[in-house]
Amino acid sequence: MATATAPPDERVATTGPVARLLKRPEIGALIAALVVFLFFALTTETFATPAGASTWLQTSSTIGIMAVAVALLMIGGEFDLSAGVMTGFTGLTVGVLTTHWGLNIWVAIVVALALALAVGALNGFMVMKTGLPSFIVTLGTFFVLQGIDLALVKLIIGQVAIQGMSNVPYYDQPKKLFGSTFEVGGATIHVSVIWWIAVTIIASWILMRTRAGNWIFAVGGAQGASRQVGVPVFRTKIGLFMTTAFAGWIVGMLVLFRTSTVQSNTGIGQEFIYIICAVVGGCLLTGGYGSAVGAALGALIYGMVNQGIPYSGWDSNWLKAVLGVMLLGACLINNWVRKRAENAR
Amino acid sequence: MPAPLLQLTGIVKEFPGVRALDGVDLVVRAGEVHCLLGQNGAGKSTLIKVLAGAYQPDEGEIVMDGEHAHFADPQAALAAGIATIYQELDLVDGLSVADNIFLGHERSRFGFSRVSDSNRAARELLVSLGHPEIRPSRETGSLSAAGKQIVSMARALSRQAQVIVMDEPSAVLDPDEVGGLFRVIEDLRASGKAIVYISHRLEEIRRIGDRLTVLKDGRTVAADLPARETPTSELIALMTGREVSAEYPRRTTPLPDAEPLLVVDGLGRTDEFEDVSFSVRPGEIVGLAGLVGAGRSEIVETVYGARRADRGTVTVDGRTLRRGSVDAAVAAGLGLCPEERKSQGLVLDEAVYRNISLASLPRFSRFGATRDSAERSAAHEASRTVDVRPDDPDRVVRTLSGGNQQKVVLARWLLRSCRVLLLDEPTRGVDVGARSEIYTLIRTLADEGLAVVVVSSDIDEVLGLSDRVLVVADGRVVHSGPSAEIDAHNVLDRILASNESSHESEGDAA
Ligand SMILES: Nc1ncnc2c1ncn2[C@@H]1O[C@H](COP(=O)(O)OP(=O)(O)OP(=O)(O)O)[C@@H](O)[C@H]1O
Ligand SMILES: [Mg+2]
Repeated sequence: MATATAPPDERVATTGPVARLLKRPEIGALIAALVVFLFFALTTETFATPAGASTWLQTSSTIGIMAVAVALLMIGGEFDLSAGVMTGFTGLTVGVLTTHWGLNIWVAIVVALALALAVGALNGFMVMKTGLPSFIVTLGTFFVLQGIDLALVKLIIGQVAIQGMSNVPYYDQPKKLFGSTFEVGGATIHVSVIWWIAVTIIASWILMRTRAGNWIFAVGGAQGASRQVGVPVFRTKIGLFMTTAFAGWIVGMLVLFRTSTVQSNTGIGQEFIYIICAVVGGCLLTGGYGSAVGAALGALIYGMVNQGIPYSGWDSNWLKAVLGVMLLGACLINNWVRKRAENAR
Repeated sequence: MPAPLLQLTGIVKEFPGVRALDGVDLVVRAGEVHCLLGQNGAGKSTLIKVLAGAYQPDEGEIVMDGEHAHFADPQAALAAGIATIYQELDLVDGLSVADNIFLGHERSRFGFSRVSDSNRAARELLVSLGHPEIRPSRETGSLSAAGKQIVSMARALSRQAQVIVMDEPSAVLDPDEVGGLFRVIEDLRASGKAIVYISHRLEEIRRIGDRLTVLKDGRTVAADLPARETPTSELIALMTGREVSAEYPRRTTPLPDAEPLLVVDGLGRTDEFEDVSFSVRPGEIVGLAGLVGAGRSEIVETVYGARRADRGTVTVDGRTLRRGSVDAAVAAGLGLCPEERKSQGLVLDEAVYRNISLASLPRFSRFGATRDSAERSAAHEASRTVDVRPDDPDRVVRTLSGGNQQKVVLARWLLRSCRVLLLDEPTRGVDVGARSEIYTLIRTLADEGLAVVVVSSDIDEVLGLSDRVLVVADGRVVHSGPSAEIDAHNVLDRILASNESSHESEGDAA
């Protein structure tokens, strides 16, 4: 580089590796995750044992898959409130199609995927065509899906939970993919943890290393400008909504094959948890900034707190209060870090 | 004469309630720098947005390379070989410099970015623009306005276009950087490209332009004029339809012998500026001259309390202000019209009068309720004095042209009854006609007893407007004295002399 000869200048101000690390969006979540881990590991008996870890990892994993997808969407400047109910919707679809109508289980899984992607595409299409905020559009889809999950399912099978799932022919095959466990150092790890790690790696890769990743930052940070330079804004946004729907399908399958049942209210109320995890992981509500790893860490914190509270012998209802405090804390810290970064210019 | 590369005929573009373009003709040839001239709101930016495919014309036709062209979206225009640098900075802050440059036409294979490839190509472009110090991997949001402008230019160049349109590219650049820009433009011209260049600075058009087209109220009023020879008076008459004096309004009455109203003593901020002392009497205009990045904006922002001083004091009317407190400064009667207007103060979706009266709301409220009519009429008056066009206080600020948005911010500070007014680049992006009105207004305010501090990169403007001038280089005051006793050459000499002795930061303003 030519910087060796150039006069010192704020534009070349060398940023050391430490300074650069501190600027990453996920750094706050990483530190918080360590603190939360140490806290529960030191104050409770079970938290840091293999058995304890496998529970909180499992909780983190299903939340994390969704949080990562939601983070991509938020970086792209949109919200998806239908993400939570989508996990129930896909599981119920498979359950009804197989237990009630006797469809082949693999076909049912693919049908559920197709339906999920269609709903995602519809979300995106409505947001882009109407110009309504995605918060409103997906709030609408959220209620519609919630109604379908409850009323339609009850209408068809007469109850609000799927039963007899494990008797469905070939149930064992998809169960290997979505519902199995394996042993690591004495801990029983659910396969969803693998899915979680894979989704996080792929999402990070897309964000940092592909053209589509640039487009996601661009449509979230400066939609008008992106259009002017030829970024396919429409396609990018639709793709993002389909991604959250896709993640909803993965999690729907993970839940269905782990518990071999699914209830009509599965996933309802989770949508804000995903958003909280993404924000704790460094995403800005205004779009254009954030990270997939951060959202995964946000989910890890959620999972640890979720399990750590009962281990500590507290009333588990405190979880919500802790989440609220974490959200506000994360926002304040992010805000402060960004201000400092701006002043340092 | 070669056939024109680009020909626009009878272009009409209407927005609700405004006919922004009302039959514009423009002919651009290969290998020329074609300047587009016109007052704020004449329709220049709208025209180039039509050319860039960002707007669809309601009528008229575009012929490119002898063929009829229709640009349904920006991508179509880019594909046809037209690249545009827009007036408003439009980069994505969260992406790296290289990613911004290649956004929309990424260097990738099967969708995967080739990072080292695009970093290398970006570096080449930045070097050719004379800015090797901007790292391609740097986050764009952390660059200054001037740095971002350079990146926008690199982005347009990366398109390998036949026609490159530049909408006021020099507005945030210092003279040095403008020199670099002009070298690039000359290279482009020599290689047979066409450049459409918009600027309100006539001296730039003289230096770089070949031919020019003048717009007024959405119409072409003159075309194919030689850029170098056409007399200034004729150009101004064409643009404004009237005579405008090119004179600066000099002081007419002797400066009253009063105690200084504003006293700045030994002010300093680590790594920004050191030991700045000056005083301003009521009725006096003090100018801060220097290059972009010399620390002038930092100085006035620190005086105003927006930045916290590490050393020194600011005293207004005998009372020392608390450091780093805008509230204290405002209470003492200080007002600052900042340099970066767009980000620092306009509520784009609010009406003009609302934006103007924002800073003086207490004046218009009684028992907590704002008095709408008083607010409106006062704001309307202020917007008239700076000549905001169209003259409609209810218009949403977003729909004003760039220069008119700047005038709105200026009007806001004029409406506040300040005792000390700090003006940072008061005429940036403002057309010649309105500029002279703003000068007169500043002088009138001073005559009414205000103490005024003016910062401008236009050295002639600082010298012409102020009674006393401080020359700032590298965060230090290198000269101070009556403006009448120094000329632009002397100012530059002093800056250069100090640069040679220290050879420090020539960076841009934050
Ligand atoms: N989106 C819009 N909606 C309504 N009116 C608009 C819009 N954009 C521009 N206008 C109006 O069109 C006219 C031309 O604006 P334009 O931005 O082209 O001016 P300009 O010549 O570029 O001025 P400047 O020198 O200040 O940048 C102005 O009267 C402006 O208010
Ligand atoms: Mg303009």
